[in-house]
Amino acid sequence: MFDMLGSVLKNLVSRPATRKYPFEKREPLKDTRGQVGINIDDCIFCSICSRKCPSDAINVNKAEKSWEINHFKCVMCGVCAEVCPKKCVDMVEQYKTPAYSKSSAKYVQQPKPASQDNKTA
Amino acid sequence: MIENLVEISKEQLLSQVQSMKYDNYRFVTASCVDTGDGYLDVIYHFDLDLELKNFRVRVKKDEEVPSISKIYFCSVLVENEMKELFGLNVTNMAIDYGGHMLLSDDDLANPMAKQQIVIEKRGAK
Amino acid sequence: MSRSVIPFGPQHPVLPEPLHLKLVMEDEKIVEAIPAIGYVHRGLEKLTEVKEYTQNVFVVERICGICSFMHAMAYCQGIESLMEIQIPDRARYLRVIWAELHRIHSHLLWLGLLADAFGFESLFMQVWRNREKVMDIMEETAGSRVIISTNAIGGTRRDISKDMLLKIRVIVDEIKEDMKQLEPVFFNDYTVKHRLVGVGVLTSEDAYSLGAVGPMARASGISQDLRTTGYAAYGELDFEPVVEKDGDSYARTMVRLKEVYQSVSLIKQAIANIPEGEISVPVKGNPNGEVIARVEQPRGEVLYYLKGNGTKNLERLRVRTPTFANIPTLLKMLPGSQLADVPVLILTIDPCISCTER
Repeated sequence: MFDMLGSVLKNLVSRPATRKYPFEKREPLKDTRGQVGINIDDCIFCSICSRKCPSDAINVNKAEKSWEINHFKCVMCGVCAEVCPKKCVDMVEQYKTPAYSKSSAKYVQQPKPASQDNKTA
Repeated sequence: MIENLVEISKEQLLSQVQSMKYDNYRFVTASCVDTGDGYLDVIYHFDLDLELKNFRVRVKKDEEVPSISKIYFCSVLVENEMKELFGLNVTNMAIDYGGHMLLSDDDLANPMAKQQIVIEKRGAK
Repeated sequence: MSRSVIPFGPQHPVLPEPLHLKLVMEDEKIVEAIPAIGYVHRGLEKLTEVKEYTQNVFVVERICGICSFMHAMAYCQGIESLMEIQIPDRARYLRVIWAELHRIHSHLLWLGLLADAFGFESLFMQVWRNREKVMDIMEETAGSRVIISTNAIGGTRRDISKDMLLKIRVIVDEIKEDMKQLEPVFFNDYTVKHRLVGVGVLTSEDAYSLGAVGPMARASGISQDLRTTGYAAYGELDFEPVVEKDGDSYARTMVRLKEVYQSVSLIKQAIANIPEGEISVPVKGNPNGEVIARVEQPRGEVLYYLKGNGTKNLERLRVRTPTFANIPTLLKMLPGSQLADVPVLILTIDPCISCTER
């Protein structure tokens, strides 16, 4: 009958186990798979990430130099970050916030300055 | 590759299953595979002291297979599932859901079976 | 006496899972129960036919949210034995650690839900507060709380550092201590005993012939635990299956609570014995042939039947989840019991309907 009493008394005097969420947020832990991010300037548009993605969330267009991810299809497995040869796709620790409508994020690589081309040529 | 796999015909099935029950085997489950050449493979898995024993029955797509649910009642769910997903014609089941255990009327019949799917446009003649 | 039929579920406060039962009643007593499933059939087995076999690891993880790691483990072990891949020793131990963490969090979840089902709210919260510690370990080691995606064919995708292993050992000890404090409430409390002792008795003969697996079978006196076959690193660890004789809801609670302690001991043994080295080997080629893989999940035995045809797609992937095998025992237990006991009875099989229908 009084088996719970110890725990009850302990809970009365100890601090709450929960956080006051909107005012007090926990820092995301290291290496958490929050969402997929890309450093578009390093991307070579090889589209390995798009082929390996288990949920077909990534679309790569080599001609347009664009990289598109549908965050609402993504299952946060992190395979794209693992297979990327340039390591420009990575897992960002911060979770994606909820949204009112589904959308995809498109990144387009800006053309490199012409002077650089002249140097290499 | 599967250990203790015995190929039997569907006429032998009931007597084999009866003898498994007599030998105190536990019915694990049955798996159905569409081999793509008009045949279905049904594999019955039994377990005794964590050792599996398997029976493979090979039947034509519309052939009747006797239900083993009178011997092992627990095979009811899996037999209904095979009937729905593969169109395996299991007869004399202890509980027959009539094709509505997992699927509804609007769904495609036998979705796991290999079949040609023709999508008809609405309104097309 | 006239009979009436009461539909139980698919939406019912006692469990979030859409299990639907048609209960044929005589007064307050149940005479017959007919299960109706099919509310969450997602066709995952069909989906695996169009995905590559390496991608299927992530598909099978999503069959169940609670035992996701063990689904992936069973699948990977099946493919590995089909392709004759020898995974590194460290990966085998890492799999044991994550699998047992999953077992702890699944059983704590269940104990909390059971307390909630018989109306003991504060006990439910105490148990779930403990579970939160396991979830934090998961996020810290694997990067995700529930679907941890650390399995891959040929080993694991992540390693656990030495400091983290030591930290896990301290935390699982804390969980054990906290559960020891709550243990008398489950075992001796008058109200709890009143709701559990003698409710839903399943004899060992019935359990065996109805194909019960996991804690359901073990609570009825059947010593049947696939971990004793020694897959992954279980062959090198010391443990005995937890078996109870009575076969009632109380015995099932005892089995699951004691399995939490068993998992704590297994994790500590695995941490003590874990060798250094690689965590995965590269995989080449495609699977060809048939194989059956079985793993002990928190709810019981899961069976994977895999058939490859030499291409990167599998010809057939078939999953028999533990709840699928435990539903027939529910049909045996329900007739003859009172309507008020139905929530507790349904909970004691630890139903996972999204597992069952895949």
